[in-house]
Amino acid sequence: MRIGIVCPYSFDVPGGVQNHVMDLAEALIGLGHTVSVLAPADEDSPLPAYVVSAGRAVPLPYNGSVARIAFGPVSTTRVRRWITRGDFDVLHVHEPLTLSLSMLAVLSARGPVVATFHTAMTRSRVLAAAQGALQIVLERITARIAVSALARKVQVEHLDGGAVEIPNGVAVAKFAGVEPLPGWPGECGPGTGGTLGFLGRFTEPRKGFPILRDAFVELARQRPGLRLLVAGPGDRNDLFDRFPTDLRDRVTFLGLVSEEEKARMLRSVHLYVAPNTGGESFGMILTEALAAGTTVVASDLDAFRRVLDGGRAGRMFPTGDAVTLRRTLTELLDDPAQRAELTACGDQVVANFDWPVVARRVMEVYAAAIEATDGRVIDQEWVGLT
Amino acid sequence: MPGMWWVVGATLVVALVSAYLIWTAGRVERLQARAQLAARALDAHLLRRAAAAAVLAERRYGVELYAAARIALDAQPDEREAAENDLTRQLRTVRLDPTNPDCEAVIAASRRLALARQVHTDLVRDARAARGRPLVRLLRMGHRHTWPRYFDIDDPTLTVPADVPAG
Repeated sequence: MRIGIVCPYSFDVPGGVQNHVMDLAEALIGLGHTVSVLAPADEDSPLPAYVVSAGRAVPLPYNGSVARIAFGPVSTTRVRRWITRGDFDVLHVHEPLTLSLSMLAVLSARGPVVATFHTAMTRSRVLAAAQGALQIVLERITARIAVSALARKVQVEHLDGGAVEIPNGVAVAKFAGVEPLPGWPGECGPGTGGTLGFLGRFTEPRKGFPILRDAFVELARQRPGLRLLVAGPGDRNDLFDRFPTDLRDRVTFLGLVSEEEKARMLRSVHLYVAPNTGGESFGMILTEALAAGTTVVASDLDAFRRVLDGGRAGRMFPTGDAVTLRRTLTELLDDPAQRAELTACGDQVVANFDWPVVARRVMEVYAAAIEATDGRVIDQEWVGLT
Repeated sequence: MPGMWWVVGATLVVALVSAYLIWTAGRVERLQARAQLAARALDAHLLRRAAAAAVLAERRYGVELYAAARIALDAQPDEREAAENDLTRQLRTVRLDPTNPDCEAVIAASRRLALARQVHTDLVRDARAARGRPLVRLLRMGHRHTWPRYFDIDDPTLTVPADVPAG
């Protein structure tokens, strides 16, 4: 099958959508399909073989951050040429409601179009105001995918259409096989030792870092050898100022990490802690921690509950409750059997999020879109689903 | 000459209005055709699921599932939604083993049917919205086609019993 995928954001900067597109493309190629990805990129930047550059992207502030996108007559010509040359069976665009290559591709497409919605846009007034113009884009889309329950809810409530919920995938193999950082995770026995991990922007309140810090400070005083490994953007001094001086040597800060270092970091801890207080639509980091075979302790947000299968694959604590978190951590650090049980369930749960599995579900949506465009029915075998 | 400008202005307005009307007519026609093709795909998936369920009923489960599958296959258009819902209910009462090929065929057919239903509902909604516009109704655009109908059935996705953790 010939598949054309359009990514609206530039591959020059890392981001969730870009990673999703690359992993999906690789998984589809792995299933034996021909895939071409169109994305904005600088001329001299190194790109995987399956990516076609649509030219330089212009930075534009969007949705609270800066997105680098391409839009305009030159981009339109390039999109049209790519579509004509590609002769795709199905066109898969990401975030088609941003002013981007994705929207241009939808408007230029003639065949079946599948669209994936990533962000849970809550600015419903903007959507309502532009409804008439967006309708022209939306009615060229054959099938819609939402990556989270929240993104799907936006589809149903504000854009007046359904969407199939297919979660973000995780490349299990990239996380499961890597070596931990040298010297980590170290000893962990009853009442002593153990390593906790946190990944994310520790200055951002909704990531809930202060809850983990309170639990850690309290617990570290009772438990010799307990260590905390923190990774993510932010200033080293700003982080250490948050801890009492006598405990600073038990905190390690890695700073911003690459995808590969992230996998190693997740394998370097006994417990990965996600103390988020809200605003999570999916919980990608939890699937990554599970893929790395690490025991997860997370606040009981809906998004986390879904990933952790209601608490079967990881322990949950009431959101914002540092005392219960500390008790949970003690219990799990003292009990390797319980940790092993949770990671065994985690392996089963994360298998559903593995990219080849997720890519097969996406293929079924492609099949549905093709069928709805020309009325024929595609065999399960032809899609490569057996 | 003021008369000349009047003619130019009127020609321009007529040209713009006709361009808009042609574009709208094309849009209605396109959405209508899409809804019909989606209905054909949905029909094919309904038949496939019923056929897979009939095979499963013959080999493993009793008459009730077989009867529901036959009724769904033979249903008249006005009884079809109810018959398909009956079949979904029957399939939910049996315990499906995903390792058995006949069961797997029914589970896969149900999953594909759920997708076809979702796509069909979306495309019918688009077609109805386009045909419901006052101008489109006034000019009777797309009147050669029947008014697009929803196919209103319950979500046919079957939940497979979760694996019991080892140990």
